[in-house]
Amino acid sequence: MTESVDTQEPLVRIRGLRFSRGNRVIFDGVDIDIPRGKVTAIMGPSGTGKTTLLKLIGGQLRPSAGTIHVDGQDIHRLGNRALYQLRMRMGMLFQSGALLTDINVFDNVAYPLREHTDLSPSMIRKLVLLKLEAVGLRGARDLMPSELSGGMARRVALARAMVLDPMMIMYDEPFTGQDPISMGILVELIRALNDASRLSSIIVSHDVQETAAIADLVYVISDGKVIESGPPEAMMNSDTEWTRQFMQGLADGPVPFHYPAAALEQDLLEASC
Amino acid sequence: MHNRTVEILVGAFMAAGLVAFFFLAMQVSNLSSSGNGDGYEVIARFDNIGSLKVRSPVTMAGVRIGRVSEIGFDRRTYEAVVTLRIESEYNVIPDDSFAKIFTAGLLGEQYIGLDPGGSDKFLQQGSEISLTQSALVLEEIIGQFLFSKAEEGDSFE
Amino acid sequence: MLDSLARLGRVGIGVLERLGRGHLLLLAIFVGLPDLLPRLGLLLRQIYSVGVLSVLIISVSGLFVGMVLGLQGYYILSQFGAEQTLGVMVAASLVRELGPVVAALLFAGRAGSALTAEIGLMKATEQLSGLEMMAVDPVRRVLTPRFFAGFISMPLLAALFSALGVLGGYFVGGGLLGVDDGAFWAQMQAKIDLHEDVYNGVIKSFVFGLVCTWIALFQGYDCVPTSEGVSRATTRTVVHSSLAVLGLDFILTALMFGE
Ligand SMILES: Nc1ncnc2c1ncn2[C@@H]1O[C@H](COP(=O)(O)OP(=O)(O)OP(=O)(O)O)[C@@H](O)[C@H]1O
Ligand SMILES: [Mg+2]
Repeated sequence: MTESVDTQEPLVRIRGLRFSRGNRVIFDGVDIDIPRGKVTAIMGPSGTGKTTLLKLIGGQLRPSAGTIHVDGQDIHRLGNRALYQLRMRMGMLFQSGALLTDINVFDNVAYPLREHTDLSPSMIRKLVLLKLEAVGLRGARDLMPSELSGGMARRVALARAMVLDPMMIMYDEPFTGQDPISMGILVELIRALNDASRLSSIIVSHDVQETAAIADLVYVISDGKVIESGPPEAMMNSDTEWTRQFMQGLADGPVPFHYPAAALEQDLLEASC
Repeated sequence: MHNRTVEILVGAFMAAGLVAFFFLAMQVSNLSSSGNGDGYEVIARFDNIGSLKVRSPVTMAGVRIGRVSEIGFDRRTYEAVVTLRIESEYNVIPDDSFAKIFTAGLLGEQYIGLDPGGSDKFLQQGSEISLTQSALVLEEIIGQFLFSKAEEGDSFE
Repeated sequence: MLDSLARLGRVGIGVLERLGRGHLLLLAIFVGLPDLLPRLGLLLRQIYSVGVLSVLIISVSGLFVGMVLGLQGYYILSQFGAEQTLGVMVAASLVRELGPVVAALLFAGRAGSALTAEIGLMKATEQLSGLEMMAVDPVRRVLTPRFFAGFISMPLLAALFSALGVLGGYFVGGGLLGVDDGAFWAQMQAKIDLHEDVYNGVIKSFVFGLVCTWIALFQGYDCVPTSEGVSRATTRTVVHSSLAVLGLDFILTALMFGE
C-alpha cells in the first residue's frame, strides 16, 4: 500500500490542526509537513504542546478541527483495526520511556515482536540482542525497568521502538538525561537509523545544538502556531527575533518563559491582602 | 517468580477452592439425598396445608423418604393439591396410607408424615393418597381454646 | 438558585458519563475474551496475584468468623436448649451470607485496591499509552486477563471462606463446647439445601467477583494519572465495591430467598 502513494507526498501531513485542553487552546491552526526519509525536529518552549502533537499524530488524541494524514491515511478516520495496523509501522519513544515495569529489559524489547510476529524464539533473541547492542545495553538485558536509570530506560525504550523496523519513529525528548557520551552515540544512532533504513524521524527536543546537528528540517512552534520552519542553519540565523532568541538560548527577547499569568506585582498584591 | 511456580500455586489454589466447594456440597448440605431426578410422584389433597412449603420433608416413621415437590390449588373443590416426590427405593408403600401434616416442635416447620395402611397395592407414579389430615393451625387452636374459656367464664357469672 | 440547580445537573451528568464509560469498558473487556484464550499464561499469572495471594487473609478470616459464630450461636441457642442446631446456624449464615459477602469485602480491600493501583500507575507512567502506540490494545492485554482472574477467583475464595468457617464453627462447637458431633453434622445436612443455600451462595459470589473486579479495573483505568489521582481511585475502589456488595447482597437475597 505504501507503493501506491506518491513518494514525494509527505509522510505526515497536518492541515488546519486545532486542539484544546479544557479552555486552553493548545493548537490553533497548525500546518506541518513531515517529509519521508528525513529527520524533522519540532522545537518550542516547554508546555507548548509538542508531546500533545506526537499523540495527535499517533491517533491517541482527537483534534477538534483539521486533519492529520499519515502515509496518505487520515488517522482520525481509520477504524480500530486499520489504526492498529498503521501504528505497527510507527514507533514512539515516550518522554518517560513507558517501559512495562513487570517484565525485564529483554522481554520489554521483545514484546512487540512476540505480539505482532510469529518469529521463532531464537530469532527474537537475535533481533532483541542486536537492538540492545545498538543502544549499548546488551549487558542490562536481565534488569527490571525499576533498576534502570532514567537515561537507560529511555535507551531501552528506543530499542523497543525500533525493533519492528517501523517506517517512522517519533522521539519525545530522546536526549534528556543522557551523559555527553551516550548523547553523542544517540545522535549518531538516530541519524544512522534514519539513513540506513529509509526511516523518517520526528524529534521533539529542547537540545538545540544536538537537534540542529542531525535535523534536516526544523519546525518551531509556540502559542499554538508554527512560528517558523526551515533547515537548521537558516533557523539559527533567522531574521525573526523570536526564532533567533529561542535557537540561541538568549534570556532576553520576545519568547515567554512564563506560563500565561497575570502580572507578578498584581499576584503578589492579591496574596498580601 | 518463575512461570512454573505460578502454575503450581494457581493449580493448588483452584484445587483448594474446588475441594472447599465439594465439602460444602457433600458434607454441609446433603447432595445425595436432595436429588430431584429419581423417585416417583404421588398427590394428596388437603383442606388446609398450613405453612407447608415446596421442599418440605415427607417422612414415614420419622425417616425422610421424600420431599414436597409442588403445591397447587384446585379451584373447584377449594383444596390444596400437594405433589410428593418419594425416592425410588421406598416403592412398597401401601396405597391406603394416611398422610398427615405435622409440625416439628411447637413452632417448627411443617412436614408430611405417612402412616402405612394395610393394602397390598403400592403407591406408584401418579397415584393419589385419599386419606389425609390437614395441618393443625395454631391460631385456630388458640382461638377455640379462648372461645371455650370464654364460655366457661360466662357460666361463672 | 439556578446556580445550585446547574451544579446538581453537572454532578448528575458526570455520574452518567462515568457509568457510561464503565459499561463501555466492561463491553470492551468481554470483547477481548477470544483473544485471551490462546494466552492462558496471562490469565494464570493474574489468578496468582488476585487469587492465590488473597488465600491467606481469606482462610484466616473464614476460620475466625466461623469460630465466633460457633461461640455466639452456642450461647444463644443453649438458652433455648437448641444447641444441637448450632451446625445449621453456622453453616446457613456462612454459606448464604457471610461467605460470599465477607469474602467479597476482603477481596475488594486486598485484590481490588491492588488492581486499581496497578492499572492507575500503568496509566500514570504512560505504560498504557505505550502499549497503544505499540499497536497493542491495553484493554485486551491488561484488563481482560485481570477481569477474568477476579471473576474466577472470587467464588473459589468464597467457598474456601465458608468451608473453613464451618470447620471453625465445628472446632468451637463440637470440640470446645461439647455439642454432639453427630447432631452437629446431621442437623446441618438435613437443613442446608444444595440448591437453595449452596448454589445461591455461589451465584452471589460470582456476581460480587464480577462487580468488584469491574469497579477496581474501571477506577484504575479512569483515574487521574497522578499519584494523588491513583490514591483517590484506590480509595474509591474499596468504598464503591463495599457499598455495591452490600447493596447487591440485599437485592440478591430478596430475589433468591424471598418467596
Ligand atoms: N492531560 C492533560 N490535561 C490537561 N491539560 C494538559 C494535559 N496534558 C497536557 N496538558 C497541557 O497541555 C500543554 C501541552 O502539554 P505537552 O505535554 O504537549 O507540552 P510539551 O510541549 O511536550 O512540554 P515539554 O517540552 O515540557 O515536554 C501543557 O500546557 C499542559 O498544561
Ligand atoms: Mg513533552
